[in-house]
Amino acid sequence: MSTITLDTLRKEFDSGDERIVAVDDIDLEIRDGEFLVLVGPSGCGKTTTLRCVAGLEDVTSGTIRFGDDDVTDLRARERDVAMVFQNYALYPHMNVRKNIGFGLKLSTQQSSADIDRQVEEVAEMLGIEDLLGQKPKELSGGQQQRVALGRAIIRDPEAFLMDEPLSNLDAKLRSQMRTELQTLQHDLDVTTVYVTHDQTEAMAMGDRIAVMNDGTLQQVGTAEAVYRSPVNEFVADFIGSPSINLFDATVDGNRLDGPGDFGYRLADTTPVEGYESVRVGVRPEDIELVADGIDIETKVLEPMGNENYLYADLGGHELTARVASTARPSPGDVVSFTFDEDALYLFDPETGEALKTKTEGERPGEDGHVEEVVG
Amino acid sequence: MREETRREAVWQFLAYAFILLGAVLTLVPLYWIFVASTLDEQEFLSTTEPRLIPGDSFLQNFESLQARGNVQFVGHPGEMTQYVDFGFGYVYYDVWHLWDLGALESSIFVAVVYTLLSLVLCSMAGFAFAKYEFRFKKPMFYAILATLILPIQLLVIPLFLLMSQIGLTNSYWAIILPWAANPLGIFLMRQNMRSIPDALLESARMDGATEFQLYYKIALPTMKSSLAALAIILFLFQWNLFLFPLVILEQGKYTIPVAINQLVGAQRVYYDQIMVAATLSIIPIVVLFLVLQKQFVSGILAGSVKE
Amino acid sequence: MATQDTASQATPTARDRLRFVRQSVSHRLPNAGEGLVGYLFLLPALLVFTVFLGFPILYTLYLSFFRFEGVSNETVFWFDLGFFSYELTRIADLTFVGLNNYTALLSDSLFHQALFNTTFILLVQVPLMVALALVFAVALNASFVRFKGVFRTVLALPVSANLVAYSTVFLLMMQDAGLVNYVLTSVGLPAIPWLTSSFWSRMTIVGAVTWRWTGYNMIILLAGLQTVPQQLYEAAEIDGASRFEKFRYVTIPQLRPVLLFVVVTSTIGTFKLFSEPVIINGGGAPLDSTITIVQYIYQTAFIDFRLGYASALTYVLIAVVSLLSAVQLNVGGEGDA
Repeated sequence: MSTITLDTLRKEFDSGDERIVAVDDIDLEIRDGEFLVLVGPSGCGKTTTLRCVAGLEDVTSGTIRFGDDDVTDLRARERDVAMVFQNYALYPHMNVRKNIGFGLKLSTQQSSADIDRQVEEVAEMLGIEDLLGQKPKELSGGQQQRVALGRAIIRDPEAFLMDEPLSNLDAKLRSQMRTELQTLQHDLDVTTVYVTHDQTEAMAMGDRIAVMNDGTLQQVGTAEAVYRSPVNEFVADFIGSPSINLFDATVDGNRLDGPGDFGYRLADTTPVEGYESVRVGVRPEDIELVADGIDIETKVLEPMGNENYLYADLGGHELTARVASTARPSPGDVVSFTFDEDALYLFDPETGEALKTKTEGERPGEDGHVEEVVG
Repeated sequence: MREETRREAVWQFLAYAFILLGAVLTLVPLYWIFVASTLDEQEFLSTTEPRLIPGDSFLQNFESLQARGNVQFVGHPGEMTQYVDFGFGYVYYDVWHLWDLGALESSIFVAVVYTLLSLVLCSMAGFAFAKYEFRFKKPMFYAILATLILPIQLLVIPLFLLMSQIGLTNSYWAIILPWAANPLGIFLMRQNMRSIPDALLESARMDGATEFQLYYKIALPTMKSSLAALAIILFLFQWNLFLFPLVILEQGKYTIPVAINQLVGAQRVYYDQIMVAATLSIIPIVVLFLVLQKQFVSGILAGSVKE
Repeated sequence: MATQDTASQATPTARDRLRFVRQSVSHRLPNAGEGLVGYLFLLPALLVFTVFLGFPILYTLYLSFFRFEGVSNETVFWFDLGFFSYELTRIADLTFVGLNNYTALLSDSLFHQALFNTTFILLVQVPLMVALALVFAVALNASFVRFKGVFRTVLALPVSANLVAYSTVFLLMMQDAGLVNYVLTSVGLPAIPWLTSSFWSRMTIVGAVTWRWTGYNMIILLAGLQTVPQQLYEAAEIDGASRFEKFRYVTIPQLRPVLLFVVVTSTIGTFKLFSEPVIINGGGAPLDSTITIVQYIYQTAFIDFRLGYASALTYVLIAVVSLLSAVQLNVGGEGDA
């Protein structure tokens, strides 16, 4: 178990005549025993980064270190890492026992009896001890998932690498496995890099989250940090569900004027000084319906049970709000909303860089806020 | 509605009649070979009326087949004259002389060795083409693909010269080696191995497998059914080879097709012996066919994969 | 798992020890780069392919411009290092004749006869067999037919018969007093000179080849039929299509690629005909009316030992087959889009 350090990691692919930069000079440190989630939209380079760490891809430049050892030029089988693949990649012709024991058989000089005993221990830990004689195709998705985990655990590797391991499960099983995985990782205390495109999963599971876009690392931090203090518009937009409402507004002294009826007076104008226009962000959960405020026209109301999602029109812009389950405007009804200035996000209209993030009820987590910003 | 059902009944009748007729026409020659092999030659020639009931002269016909000088159809224990003299005693070392191969054993031996060798070569090449990147991969693959439409059995002239040059005339290797890197086999293995998920191989790499272990511990076992189908194609290909064995093999090494041909070519046709030989030559394949029916069908289908 | 230290280590079995040996060997081997691994897997097949297929293909072309004078032992190249010596001899003694072999083809009446015979057999046999195979496949594919597996097996059985063995059987059945004529005369039809008339002897070959390969092609077509979506038939049914119209407008277009494959491979197969005419008609009897191209190549090369001329014949055959396949693929592939 060790710290994993990526130092200006770069990976380019040849595609016809052009070079595609999949990973663009990433610096990242994954701490010993940490559960780090790499998250981003598809094609952002998160899986490529993971595969570089695994040794399945040659890096174009930069270095990868496990602890103090430079492993950049080592092949996958020399790195002592274990990986769980999206489709589990169980060997179809081997039963569960052989699947789990395969790694030890190949890479250690332990006797078959020793290997067998460890397979049984791991299987018991995962609750699949009754399935040891079965072939992968006889197992359900959840059981296959456990076998794949078992195959990784038994190796007692330097690090676990997981590539969207839960995305093939149905919703209920997924949330169950999510908890189980976290408990397991906590008990084993193995450095883990977990790739997903699902920000909810990322928020729920990661000790820290690394948000990627276009091959670059946007922000690394705790779930709270990336949610409350995104470094730029992309992170603000990507993290949080439903997504943050974003629109342009012009700055006139202390006044912001946006689409439709939107107008807001700032108490503190420092963030917008020198700007003629900004991007305004308001999270759906910060919107409060009031008697007198900014007018919006209700389009759709989605009851969620404990609350309602209100989709409304703000000068041609769709605004999403999470409102109390008692608030039930009908389509076409005009309602008014407002929000606290503390909850307001402001971004540079050119660079997308954050000018102001949430300040209300600030509680610096143990990891602080913004840790590393690249790009 | 009634009209409809009557027409349906006519169609059904026609379809059954056609299939049954086809089945009978297919089986008659096969059955007839068997019956004829059990009849005495005089009995067989004395009447034009075909016999449907097997006789009891099979063994007698077989003996006269075996008694022929120029063709050994089924082998017999050999004389082990080859030995090493150690001074204090000698050791026979030539396993080939434990049993003198007849045509039947030669054909089986050649077909089995050819099938195994070709499976190894084709699956390795197919694996390379399907799962690795290397320079000139595409041109090499297309070159092999192009030979698919060549009747490769026809390359007897240069092969004959080549074999006489490297001293392989009258050797089983001469009819095994030329088609061992079977283009159809390479093509089929490549197509099928493309379906092996990359993640499976990567997973094995992470488990510590070497590249060669990927091939024989992961790729080969998952390709079992394709390999079985290909084995059948290869076996039948070699089993039916006639032209080149006829050119390159000499008496004593004949395979079945060449051996049977010897029974026909002369002034007189030895019906009884031919029929016994034909029966004996069909039995192994029919057994193989019935046992591996599923693979047989998929083998035929595998051979017809569209490009 | 971090349990190795707690429990006592079990003693490795013999198989384990074998595994350790393999492990240490495989891990001591140098790591081949990604590009090299592919070559290593390819190497054995490529070597065999180059020597035994690549070289002959090119050498046949080369030979076709020469007259063969005999196998040669003349040394082309040699070296002797004392402990190791090597001598490369010429394969054959050849005289360059330019395009003479090819021009001779133009006036070779036996070649023309062989070409005619093969084409004749092709034109009768391929359509007949494909039609039969198609009807069998459609009939067997009908939902009401039972024992499909049995019928399929029976119809495909002839593939298992050895080429030479089955040809011999046809030779016997087609005798003037053979089984077939017995059946014909006993139902009041005239006996047919299957082996002695030039027309009927070709028909005998057509019959033999059809007997052997119809079932094989039926299996391929049957597999093709099973991929035709059932909804297409249902849609045609709703549109009021008759049984024949469904066959014409649904089955045939859907089956087109498979049919094309069957036609192309059957055509190539017919051009390769050798064992059947050699055995059934004893090498072209009557009066060379059944001699096929491959048979003629065999005679020229291995009885007359005119290897150069036979090579030219081979190349003409290869050209004809490739051209025909290309044409068939082109015509049959049209309208796929």
